[in-house]
Amino acid sequence: MIFVTLPPQLPAQTAAAKSSPERQWSVQVDKIDPGDVVLASSFQVAIYENLLEELGKTKRFKQVFRDGDRNASSVADLLVLKTTVQKYSPGSETQRAVTTVSGATKLNVRSQLCTRDGNVVLERVVNGNVRFLGSNLRATHNLARNVAKTIKQSALPEPTLPAPAQSSAAPSVAAELAGVR
Amino acid sequence: MNRRAVASEQMQDPYFLIHRTALLTLLIWVSTGMLAQNSGGQTSSAAASETNVTHVLGFEGTSNNAKGKLSIQGSAVQFQKGADTAAQVNISSIQDVILGEQSKQLGGLPMTLGKAATPYGGGRVISLFAHKKYDTLTLVYFDTNGGLHGAIFQLNKGRGQAIRDELVAKGAHVTPAEDEPAKQSTPEAKSENK
Repeated sequence: MIFVTLPPQLPAQTAAAKSSPERQWSVQVDKIDPGDVVLASSFQVAIYENLLEELGKTKRFKQVFRDGDRNASSVADLLVLKTTVQKYSPGSETQRAVTTVSGATKLNVRSQLCTRDGNVVLERVVNGNVRFLGSNLRATHNLARNVAKTIKQSALPEPTLPAPAQSSAAPSVAAELAGVR
Repeated sequence: MNRRAVASEQMQDPYFLIHRTALLTLLIWVSTGMLAQNSGGQTSSAAASETNVTHVLGFEGTSNNAKGKLSIQGSAVQFQKGADTAAQVNISSIQDVILGEQSKQLGGLPMTLGKAATPYGGGRVISLFAHKKYDTLTLVYFDTNGGLHGAIFQLNKGRGQAIRDELVAKGAHVTPAEDEPAKQSTPEAKSENK
């Protein structure tokens, strides 16, 4: 009779993998900062909402939080996305339809991913335009998609592991032991 | 006897029947008109708080570009899409109500394709006239966790102000209107931060 034995490492490996899952950042999207640019509130709202939607689609982040969400305060690995508008050309859908070459709506923003303590992890300048088809608000969707794409393609640093409780307690325990001796 | 004779004569008179029918028709027409006026009055009073809108984006639990009715029910703003369950937001949680104006091309993608297929640049001429101005209503509000939301609705021109006034009357917060930038239909007015 022939017995086939499976290597015992496989289940053990799986268990090990489960016990230490890959750490993943969560992100909180801040309200859009119009900077010095005169940008309609509807555009600011549209950029903000589209960013939330597009960042959720990337699967890059464990959770995507809204600005002011109280649940975000308890999350350890949190990045904050700050968006500042740098340039804006309103454009006109009718002008686009009539001339094809003019009337484009253009948006240019600076996106920053920061840690809680304010360190900038990633900074990019991203554009969002509508040149041919679509309403002016379509530019906000294109912009959010480009921001999400840029973040997805960029390498983010690994979330820092919180200092284990034993490591901080160990010296004091050792000192106590030394004192006893 | 004479009275009976006169009555029977009237019944036989064809003009009498015609007059009577005409009178009845007139009565029915007038009463229908009055009823219609009453129902119209009800509609106009209801229309102040219920408006056909297109939800552009942002209202929680509602798909983008959904058409439906925006209404104010008690202390909540409600969006109802057809027979679906309505999504609603408490008016007290609204932080800002912003009005805007947008000019959009009519007909969507089918119209755009049709215009592209029109020979001799006829599509461009159609585009010159095939656009309509809409009001946009932007609601900024907080959810129960304190998260910031923004919802944009597209309404027929002139309807936005009525809803804004009603929301303000019911306790919605608003920022002064003079803070609002220029309308969106302004072509190519560049504003850059250099």
